[in-house]
This record gives sequence, C-alpha cells and structure tokens, in this order.
Amino acid sequence: MKRMFRLPVYSYLFPGLFFMAVFTFFPVFMSAYLSLFRWNISNPSPNFAWFSNYLEVFKAPLFWLVLKNNLIYAFTTIPISMSLALFLAILINQKMGSVRSFYRGSLFYPTMIPMVAAAMLWVWIFNPGLGIFNYYFGFLGFPKIEWLYDMRYALIAIIIMSIWKNFGYYMLIFLAGLQGIPKHYYEAASIEGAGPWNQFRYITFPMLAPATLFVFVVAIISSFQVFDQVFVMTQGGPGDRTNVLVFYIYQHAFRFWDLGMGSTLTTLFVMGLLIAIWLVFRVIGKRVYYEV
Amino acid sequence: MRKIILVFTIFFFIAGMVHSSETWAQMTAKPKLLRLTFYYPVGVAGPLARVIGEMTDKFNKENEGRIEVVPVYSGDYDPTMQKVQTAIMAGNPPDIFMVEISELPTLLTMNAVLPLDDYVKKLGKVYWEDFFAPFRENAVIGGKIYGIPFQRSTPVFYWNKEVFKTAGLDPEKPPQTWDELRDYGQKLTVRDPKTGDVKQWGVTISGGWNDWLFEAFVRQNGSWLISPDGLKANFNSKEAIEALEFWVELKHRLKVGPPHSTWGSTPPDFVGGRTAMLYHSTGILTFLKKSAKFDFGVAFMPKKKTYGAEVGGANLMIAKRISKERQDAAWKYMEWMSTSKNTAEWSAASGYVAVRHSSYDDPVMKDHVSKNPEYLVARDQLKYAYGKMMGKNFQKVREILKRQLDDAAAGKIAPAEAMQIAQKEIQGVIK
Repeated sequence: MKRMFRLPVYSYLFPGLFFMAVFTFFPVFMSAYLSLFRWNISNPSPNFAWFSNYLEVFKAPLFWLVLKNNLIYAFTTIPISMSLALFLAILINQKMGSVRSFYRGSLFYPTMIPMVAAAMLWVWIFNPGLGIFNYYFGFLGFPKIEWLYDMRYALIAIIIMSIWKNFGYYMLIFLAGLQGIPKHYYEAASIEGAGPWNQFRYITFPMLAPATLFVFVVAIISSFQVFDQVFVMTQGGPGDRTNVLVFYIYQHAFRFWDLGMGSTLTTLFVMGLLIAIWLVFRVIGKRVYYEV
Repeated sequence: MRKIILVFTIFFFIAGMVHSSETWAQMTAKPKLLRLTFYYPVGVAGPLARVIGEMTDKFNKENEGRIEVVPVYSGDYDPTMQKVQTAIMAGNPPDIFMVEISELPTLLTMNAVLPLDDYVKKLGKVYWEDFFAPFRENAVIGGKIYGIPFQRSTPVFYWNKEVFKTAGLDPEKPPQTWDELRDYGQKLTVRDPKTGDVKQWGVTISGGWNDWLFEAFVRQNGSWLISPDGLKANFNSKEAIEALEFWVELKHRLKVGPPHSTWGSTPPDFVGGRTAMLYHSTGILTFLKKSAKFDFGVAFMPKKKTYGAEVGGANLMIAKRISKERQDAAWKYMEWMSTSKNTAEWSAASGYVAVRHSSYDDPVMKDHVSKNPEYLVARDQLKYAYGKMMGKNFQKVREILKRQLDDAAAGKIAPAEAMQIAQKEIQGVIK
C-alpha cells in the first residue's frame, strides 16, 4: 500500500520540475556542451574545438579587467549594503509609533522601483553640471566629479547606485529576523545588566545568523548578476572600466554573436558562483544557529 | 418548451454554418494578403516611431487587401541588429529590416541579405544616382546593391552663440580649422577660480559613438580607417595617429573637453550650458531646437587638411530566405518609402538628412528648409563625406576601437601605441 502512494507525491512535483528542466537545467547543460564548440559569425555551424574557448577566455586581458571590476563591485557593495541594512533594521525595530511605517516605507522605496527606471534616474543624479549629487556634495566642499564620464569614478558611481537600490530588500529580511527574536531574552539580559552593545553582540547577532546567511548568499548572487544599471548608465564604458561579467557575456553572445565564447563564459560564471556559494555554506553555514 | 429551445438551437447552428461557409468562400476568392514584418530602429528619439507608423499606414491603405506591412519598433541600433540576427539564426527573418550601415558585411557572412540590383535596374540610373553618393557607398559591396538609403545622418558641429559672445568671440563664426578649435576651446573653457572645477567645457566630442566621430577626424586629416570592401584595416597610419594625438591634446593635456561621455547625455549637456561646442549627429538637431533656450549654430566640422565627414544611419534591406512573392512585395514598400516625396517627408519630420538630391525640390522640404536653414548644413557637408567604415563583426571592431580611444583620452596609453593595438586586433577580426 505504502508504495502506491509515492507516485502521486512525485507527480505533484512534476509541473515545477518540468519548467525548471526546460528553462533552467537544460540551458545550463546545453551551454556547458556548446562551450566546447567554435560557433560564431565566421563559423556559422558549430565546430568541435575541445577547450580552446576556455584558453581564449583566460588569455584575453579584458577578461581579467572585467573580473577585477566585478570583484571590486562585490567586495564593496556586499559589506556596505549589508551593514547599512542591519543598522537601519535595528533602528526601525525600535518603538517609535506611527513614524515607523513611514520610515520603513521610504527606506524600502528604492527596492520597489524597476532597476532600469532607477538607473535612468541616476544618470541624471550623476550628471556633472545639472545633477543633484554634485550639487549637494559641493556644499560639503567636495570637488565636482564627472561621475559617469570619468574612468576612475564610473564604477564607484555604479556601486553607490546599487547600494541605494539593494539595501532595502536586505533590511526587510533583517527586520523580519529581528521581530522573530523573543523579547524575554532582552528582558533577562537587561536584568543581568547587559548594555545595548552586549545585547547586540550576544543576543541579536547570533539569533539573526540564519537571516544573515540568507542575505549574504543573495547578495553574492546579485553582485555577480549586476547588469541593468551598467547597460543603462555606462554600457561598460569608459574604456571597459565598468564592464562586469554578465555584461561581458552579453557582449559576446548578443553583440559579437560569438555563441561559443558566450557559452564558455556562462559556464565559467555558473561554476564560479556555485563554488562561491558552496564555500559560504561550508565555512559559515555550519556556525549558524537555528532555533527550532 | 424544451423542444422549442432545441429546434431554435439547431436552426441557429445551421444558419451559422451556412453563413460562415459563405464568408469563408468570400475570403478565399480574394487575392492572398501578404503580411510583411518590418524591423526598424530609431537612432535618435521615440516620437519618430509614430512617423514610420503613419507612413506605413498610408502604404497599407494604397495596397489594401494585397500587402500589409507591420512595422516593429526594435529599439536602438544595437538591439535592432540583435533582433534581426536572432530572427535570421532562428530561420524566421523579418521580411524588411533597417540596421546600422556598418553591419552589412556581417549580414552578408550570414547570407541574409537579398541583392537588389534587378529591382534597381528596372528603375534605372535616374533612381539610384539620385541618392547622394556617400549614402550609396555603404549599400554596395562587390558591385552589388544590398540596401536603399533611408534613415541617414552625418556628424556635424554645434556651437552656443551666447557663450561665444561672453568669451569675446564672434558668435557668427564657428572654428574653421583644428587650430582654431583648440584656440576657441581654451577660450571657452570656464573653471571655478578657487577649486579649479570645470563649469563649462570648451568642446565635447561625444562618447558612445566616438568611433564614428573619430573616423571624421581621420577623414579631415586625409586618411581612412577600413577599406570600402571591409577587408583592410588602416588604423596605424600617420594621419590616424595625428588625429588621436589631437584628441588627447584637447581632452587630456589642455583639458578643454571631457575625456569621456555618453552619446545620450551630451545633447542635454549642450542644452544645459555644460559645454560650448559639441560634435554630434545631425539627428539631434530637432531636439536641440526644441530644448535650447539660447541661440546656437550648426556648422561643418572644422578641417585639418580638408573638411571631412562620414555618413551614418541605416539602410532598408530585404531578407534573402523568404519567398520571391514576399521579396517583390517588400521591394514595393521600399520603393514607395524611398520616393523623393516620402524621403522629404521623413526628413522634415525627423531631422535626418533627406537621402535624394530630388528630395530637396519637394515642396514640403523646400518649405521646411526655408524656415530652418540649419538643416541644410549636413546636406552641404556631404560634398566632403565618405561612406562609413564597415567590416565583418563590426560590433567587435567598435568595442576594440572605443577601448583604445577611451584609454588614450585618459592618458593611459600613447596614441601611436593605441592605434597599433587597434590595427592588429581589428585586422584580425575583419580579415
């Protein structure tokens, strides 16, 4: 009897599994397979070429510049947006009556705007002559920077914009985590004489670990998937200083129509991301405390 | 009661069957309607999509029941090329398409474009040679005609007359030579005396399509970048290196212009008074006229050895792998779109250069240019213009060249070295 019930159980999985297979698993394996072929405008029918595409990727100096840009982006946006999100989530979690939902709404607002619209907006904010960024920072005595026109600052401009866009989502997850921490822990701690810092250090932070791990993984993924803002604001320029991995893949696959190289880069990208996330779970995941 | 309902139901059912078979017979008796897809970009601004729609509606009305062209707005030049390429690779190409002129060699490698010589021959030399010669260049490879010029432009020079006055320059006299440009650029650059921040640039050579503008400078210096057949690169000529040295002088050494910028943001920079002189496409003239609150002028780009420019924009083309019947219908549309009258109407509405000599005899056009003589500058500059460089995988050629131009303008690499790299890499791509 027991066995007979298994089939329907698996069949419930079928619709989801079917679409995952068609739109996720199949493309992943297909691009891994195609990465072994030379397939571009000059070779309209794919020729098997072993790993020559991979060699070509690693030989191109531009690939290393793109990787460097993307790593700079990841190592700045992830810690800044996560700590900003945590800080603001703790602030918002304080008792402050009806003002709270106003603050929460306005801090979450950037996350709700579509990325492309936000990027268009920031093109104007960063405009050197008319934009408000230079206008306000001018009062503080900062030099006027040609944000998106300048090789040195274009990537920083994109980072600033992305932090503004992304921290709200992380903040919301932290906030949900904070509200799940039982109040009596804090009561007990304050009776024992623990100050705010110790309460944060020994109660909030460890109790938030599952939320932090989740946010961290999402942040890693999104920092390597960055594309829309680059496409709209700089097209990877000036001089490839804002070119990032997904934009580089896009250029090869859809601009240069080099599908072999596009597949190779995609495969490297997926593998790299999987390894990064596996490492995170191995190193940090074990130390996370789940209250069951 | 039930019976009555049943009888009525059966009656209506039969009546419906008879009627629908009648209409079916009517439909099949008519000649077959050919529905053609037309992918087109608008390189400059959105409202122009409406103009294409209106023109096509007119054509569809004239050919009612036989041909219906469905125009599909497909974004900027790059997205349009992507959509056309994807459709070709999938074996379902749009019947008619308009892509950036330098993409022709790529499309030919993909065996995707129909030669139009048979159609053009029927209309004779009077038709073909009525198009301005530089516009014809990018439509021809190996002696065969592959496109009909339509949405065409060329870079020109804009200057803000009011800030010329402020700087003590004659507002009616734009710089004529590179030397004057350098001199005016220095006079027109305004810096904050305390911080040294730039308040107004002297001259902005727009980024984004800076590869296109750079070609004009090389032409002004009497050389070229890629041979007309798209096979031989010539980026490391003395003239090209000199042109880049001039850019580096303006943008990096003298700092009279921003080293980098984007194509879309420099027209607002000009309108907002951020820059006094601007190199950009003729296509933005309508935008500038609507937005600028000051008097400005349009002129030929300053010369070095000669005036020089190259053309840009997009040609109309027909897909190769569609039936003869559809190709004929597509040609009918293209012939209609390229009449003197319609090219004149398109030019007046869009600001693009009208592509035929006879377009300028059309009453609509005569009226338009008598009110707005600035629109004639681009046409007159065509005397010094050539076809645009083109080559296989042009998107990659552009990326390589832009990277070197950007790096040189930031002082990261010497002009001669940058052009050597461009030469080597680009020759490898187009070979």
